[in-house]
Amino acid sequence: MREILLKIDKLKVKGNGKEILKGVNLQIKRGEIQALLGPNASGKSTLAQVIFGNPKYKITQGRIFFEGKEVIKLFPEKRAKLGIAMAWQSPPVIKGVKFSQLLSKISTLRSSTPFAVAREGKEASSLLPPRSAREVESHLLEREINVDFSGGEKKMSELLQVIALNPKFVIFDEIDSGLDIKRLEQVSKIIKKELVNKRSSILLITHSGAILNFLKPDITNVMVQGRIICREKDYKKVLKIIKRYGYEKCKKCKLLAG
Amino acid sequence: MAMKNVKSANYWQVDHKVRNIFEVKGITVLPSPRAWEKFGWTRKWFEEKPKEGYFIWVEKQVDFPLATCITIATPKISQNLKNLLVIEKGIKAKAIVTCNAAENKLCGKHRAKGKLILKDNVSLEYNHFHKWGEKDFVSLDYEFILGKNSQLLYTYQNLFPPGNLQLKTTIYSNEKSSSKLNFIINGLNSDIKIQDIIFLKEKSAQGIARLRLVGRENSRIEAISKIFALAPSKGHLDCRGLLLDRTAKISLIPEIICQNKDAQITHEASLGKISEEELTYLRMRGLTEEEAIDLIVSGFLNI
Repeated sequence: MREILLKIDKLKVKGNGKEILKGVNLQIKRGEIQALLGPNASGKSTLAQVIFGNPKYKITQGRIFFEGKEVIKLFPEKRAKLGIAMAWQSPPVIKGVKFSQLLSKISTLRSSTPFAVAREGKEASSLLPPRSAREVESHLLEREINVDFSGGEKKMSELLQVIALNPKFVIFDEIDSGLDIKRLEQVSKIIKKELVNKRSSILLITHSGAILNFLKPDITNVMVQGRIICREKDYKKVLKIIKRYGYEKCKKCKLLAG
Repeated sequence: MAMKNVKSANYWQVDHKVRNIFEVKGITVLPSPRAWEKFGWTRKWFEEKPKEGYFIWVEKQVDFPLATCITIATPKISQNLKNLLVIEKGIKAKAIVTCNAAENKLCGKHRAKGKLILKDNVSLEYNHFHKWGEKDFVSLDYEFILGKNSQLLYTYQNLFPPGNLQLKTTIYSNEKSSSKLNFIINGLNSDIKIQDIIFLKEKSAQGIARLRLVGRENSRIEAISKIFALAPSKGHLDCRGLLLDRTAKISLIPEIICQNKDAQITHEASLGKISEEELTYLRMRGLTEEEAIDLIVSGFLNI
């Protein structure tokens, strides 16, 4: 049986004084791909930010474990050093800082920390992300971070950063939103080559489910109103039900996880 | 600092002593008092007989940057410089100007008055670097006089401020001349007063002033940035301040004055703290809070 990498236990979270997550349970094993589907404002992105320790949100109950270690009290950078990475849905603009500066900073940090040791017995061959990903958007390197990036460029920039971190676990927050089908296929291929094949665990947050056909998750979760109400192996079944009846139907569905 | 080898500078002064002068064909370099004696025409620019400082007269195009370095190295030293740079018609030049303190706690004074004359069709990129000790007093009063069609790109960078800094910069723009000023200033345990004025005197002149100010511990920065349009011309002020500490204070006053109906002057100004979202984003990439702040600040200052 595969080892549990991330375990979230009865998590309740408040943001701006309002309860957003109302008791979330989630377990992700090493090398596993899971999807988290849900309508807008159901709490998916909040969950992602909380896994990473964004101080904007307050945990009122519950615990988060990564490789058996409780991480709730760790700063975001400590969590990154443990091997957690996230591609943001709407990353902020950082004026005056070149994308290449950030990538090399990430790579320098990575090479001086325990997660620098490349998995599968290989040494990290380059400080920058692997060639396959780099070539796709090399023109971004000299631009300021996220300044006037198109939707697709933002997604690619996030992906490059995540790969540069050489992570054990990656959260992709709506990586598929705003991407055309060709770009989506390209992104999925890079994720497979650089992360899935290297046994990184992945949590795909999506409300459209577009990326699931390319990355075929082992488990698909559905979140509605701050709770995970469904956990199902067959992502096609979940997508079919959502497509036909919408998320409202999920609440009454037989697949309900409880 | 910008200058790798101070001995190759065209003019190098330590305290009151001229340590080196390096002339090439077409460029005259003299201590200002000598220039006052030798070239009567300089008197109009110096106004009174200077005691120290440099005179550089560029009559021919050269393909390397002009470099000057003025240092204070003795405790309680007090410099009082009058500098004059004259660039003849049509020449493209670049200058790297460094003023610094050799040690941190000299309690020295550095006063400099500069006149920079750009004749018609001159293009000058002037990079001015300051690095001071925490108890120094520095006062700078620079005037740039731009001829027709001339272009000035002036960057003043001070990442190591003195305890007290007074910075005055005035630009007199002629027909079709353009000036772009960048002030990059890091406030730390210092009292800083900045005043920059661009006079758009003749038609089709252009001027842009860009201020990037960072307020760290115990710093107080007051900046007045002005553009005065007297002719059909264009100007823009872009003033931004970033406060990194609760003991810091920045006051920014952009002032645009228009005395010609065909002139167009605009301004933007903002003061604030680092965005939490940017910080969190970088911390999620593994940077500590301090490293994230440094990266954001370097981007803000564009250095």
